[in-house]
Amino acid sequence: MRTKKSLTELSRLVIALALVAPAVHAADATHGASVFDEECSDCHSVKPDKNKKGPTLFGVVGRPAGSVADFNYSDAMKAGGFTWSPDRLSSYISAPKKTVPGGKMKYDGLANDQARADLIAYLSTLRQ
Amino acid sequence: MSTASCPPGELRASPRHPLPTFLLGTLALWAGTTVPSHAVPSYARQTGEECSACHIGAFGPQLTAHGWKFKLNGYAETDGKSGHIPLSAMVVGSWTDTKKDLAEDAGPYQGRNNNAVMQEASVFLAGGLTEHLGTFVQGTYSGIERKFALDNADVRYAQPLEIGGEEAIVGVTFNNNPSITDPFNNLPAWRFPYMASELTPGPIASPILDGGLEQQVGGISLYTLWNDSIFAEIGGYRTFSRSFLENMNVIASDDPLDKISNVSPYWRLGYVKDMHSQSWQIGLFGLAPNMRPDGASGATDNYRDFGVDASYQFLGTREHVFTVNTAYIHESRDLDATYDAGGAQKKSGNVNRFDLSGSYFYDQTWGLTAGLFDIQGSSDNVLYAPEPDAGSRKGNPNTAGYILQADWTPFGKEGSWGSPWANARIGLQYTGYTKFNGASHNYDGNGRDASDNNTVFAFLWTAF
Repeated sequence: MRTKKSLTELSRLVIALALVAPAVHAADATHGASVFDEECSDCHSVKPDKNKKGPTLFGVVGRPAGSVADFNYSDAMKAGGFTWSPDRLSSYISAPKKTVPGGKMKYDGLANDQARADLIAYLSTLRQ
Repeated sequence: MSTASCPPGELRASPRHPLPTFLLGTLALWAGTTVPSHAVPSYARQTGEECSACHIGAFGPQLTAHGWKFKLNGYAETDGKSGHIPLSAMVVGSWTDTKKDLAEDAGPYQGRNNNAVMQEASVFLAGGLTEHLGTFVQGTYSGIERKFALDNADVRYAQPLEIGGEEAIVGVTFNNNPSITDPFNNLPAWRFPYMASELTPGPIASPILDGGLEQQVGGISLYTLWNDSIFAEIGGYRTFSRSFLENMNVIASDDPLDKISNVSPYWRLGYVKDMHSQSWQIGLFGLAPNMRPDGASGATDNYRDFGVDASYQFLGTREHVFTVNTAYIHESRDLDATYDAGGAQKKSGNVNRFDLSGSYFYDQTWGLTAGLFDIQGSSDNVLYAPEPDAGSRKGNPNTAGYILQADWTPFGKEGSWGSPWANARIGLQYTGYTKFNGASHNYDGNGRDASDNNTVFAFLWTAF
């Protein structure tokens, strides 16, 4: 009886893991590059020192907010005082105006968790 | 100064010609117009973005969702740096071959067929003047007419506001062409084809919104894009003074000038959805001028234009881009003034126009576009009279056909050579007519068939 009960619990666990598995896929930087092209590339470049209406995203992961030398940031971003960690980026990309009220970025956010994770994985590859 | 919207060669009534305005697009006024365009690299320099960010196929005037938001924001967004000079220039060279030679020369300095011309050279005051004020003002030298004139002008002020707890762009525009404010490339001023021959016969009629008032009028519109979803615009137009239009070279001193009585309302209402990798839009629009032919007092010609339009674009990663644009315009009109002057057989009538185009671009460089156009209207043997090439044997304006275009746009992307100064598009376009001015065969009463107007048009379009 005990063995049968353990197997039942095990099968429940397997089923539960299978159900949540899609939400915990490893981030895919290759797909993240496509997400960048779709969502970000109009306003941002990934080339070093290439600013558009938004600052370059080369090396953005780990960079202090508002720190690209020749980009004209909003006062809110200049006063941010934080570093672009993956978590901070994810929060910002999902809801820019909520994360940095008064910021200039005209973007309504990327709600898809996996796409955001992939995008940040791609941005993480952009460093010297 | 026609729009880029008509089938190649479709030339509309213009006060530069001794013709009543009610014959919109009338009588093959070769060399009577230029094709305004919207490929303005000074915007790219101002924003730090490539042409491809705002334009389908990395060349104007077809706008991406990002592009129409730039327009609605008053042409004023920047990369945050100062010192941008809002000046650009454009040159277009072209070659036109019509299936059958025309009865007369295609233009004042051209032959009856196979004409190679420097079609137009334009200068633009295009860019942000202040944080919220921007311009798109074009002056064009026509290589066909060999004169310089004021072309399209759109000066706008826009500001982000919060309305009902939601974000909104609210703006005001002063412009000289009803439908030039269109951000979606469905309405006459900016619809496909974006470049066309000006040396072929054009349909004898089209709704007055289809370029019938361009450059002759000044209008103010208020507009808003609310919550990134509701687009609304309302405004009014009046005819400029004769002296102003003569000074701007829009009309000559001996041209008649049909004037709007009081103010003509213009309006638009629509819903838009931008999902970044794709977007769509649907809307309604209208224009309702009462015209006084040649400015005469008394009875007026009253036009009531009402239309629906829609568009869709798939951008994806920008490697494979698809677009669809369409519009239908219904015009009912009461031509009391023209009828009283003996210029029309009937007082009332209608003209309807349908346009549909679809495009595919690979790598924002190689483009294929196909378009359909269909004009249908009530018959009038006086309004639409027989005339070689341009008239109607049946007194009927019905015209239908298709346009196919292939083009190559080598620059305008991030990393392109000479970016953002070097911009060029090379295109080959074919226009086929299945019906022209009411008939497929001998439409003009002079033995010319609709297919005799089929046109091959090649162009080199540069902007810097």
